[in-house]
Amino acid sequence: MKAVRMLSEDDLNLSELTDDELVRAWNLWFDVAQSTNEWDPPYSHGVFADVDGAPSPVSTNEDPI
Amino acid sequence: MTNVYFELTREFNQLGPAAALSSGQAVVYYRLAIMSKDGDWIVRDAPEPCAHVRSVLSRHGALHRPSAPLDVRWLGGGWSSHFEYYDVDERRIRCDFVSRPPRVSAETLTAMFRGQSAGQPFLVVDRDTLIRLKQTGRAKDYAVIGELARQLPPDQEVEWTTDIDRILALSVIVNRPSSRPSVQAAQRGAGRAAVVAALALEIDELQQSDRRRLAVYQRAAEPYLNEFRRMALDRLPVEQAHEHACRLAEALLPQRPTEE
Repeated sequence: MKAVRMLSEDDLNLSELTDDELVRAWNLWFDVAQSTNEWDPPYSHGVFADVDGAPSPVSTNEDPI
Repeated sequence: MTNVYFELTREFNQLGPAAALSSGQAVVYYRLAIMSKDGDWIVRDAPEPCAHVRSVLSRHGALHRPSAPLDVRWLGGGWSSHFEYYDVDERRIRCDFVSRPPRVSAETLTAMFRGQSAGQPFLVVDRDTLIRLKQTGRAKDYAVIGELARQLPPDQEVEWTTDIDRILALSVIVNRPSSRPSVQAAQRGAGRAAVVAALALEIDELQQSDRRRLAVYQRAAEPYLNEFRRMALDRLPVEQAHEHACRLAEALLPQRPTEE
């Protein structure tokens, strides 16, 4: 019985890409992925993953400290 | 054209081994998936590499996100440090650092920073280490572990794989004892259902263990993070933010929360 893979056949040819093709593919994905930035969790993983990572509130005082 | 995170890794290591590319971008490096909008690194647990990494981030105009200082006093206790900037194409670049990741031995970290392996274009964690890093509380990381394990020889793959069919197949081929209950079940011919159950319990325990660990840090971080945000340190240049974050952390962030 053939094991179920995480990726489809089309995706598995990553190993056959040249270094340049891999970089181009990742950049294409990264450029498109920028469109979802505002919905990304503050931290993808790590010790702050479930913490509110909201930036500091914007105030009328231009000097942060 | 470059991968910005691969390029940052080269910059971080320009003066010597300082930061090894890890997590999602290492998965890209090993050609398992096109993924990961963030960059993660294991930084060498010493003041000089931390200072060099901060200087690279400063050159890129990064800001210090609410998180522990990039300083061995806190990184050594398992904390992480997070930064962000926008590149010339206005793409968000997030950079996350640890020096003592969970489940990775001090010996492994020392060996990692002896330098990159022959043929590697830059310093990146090896597959064993990457698998350990991925043993988190997130279900999706276990599919990645299974695919990473496929790139290992059979006697190593069987010790890491999360794929039930690979466990069943490899338990016949690999003729040596395993510490994994799922592999033990397969090797004694317990049947598919028993192996599935054992594997599910293994993964669940790994997930619960990581969640318990994170809960300790999250409780310990709250006073520090609240004050970090109140002081708006994430709007300062990196070195200035770092100076203030260290003073704040000395007062409010326990260096080793799991030991308290």
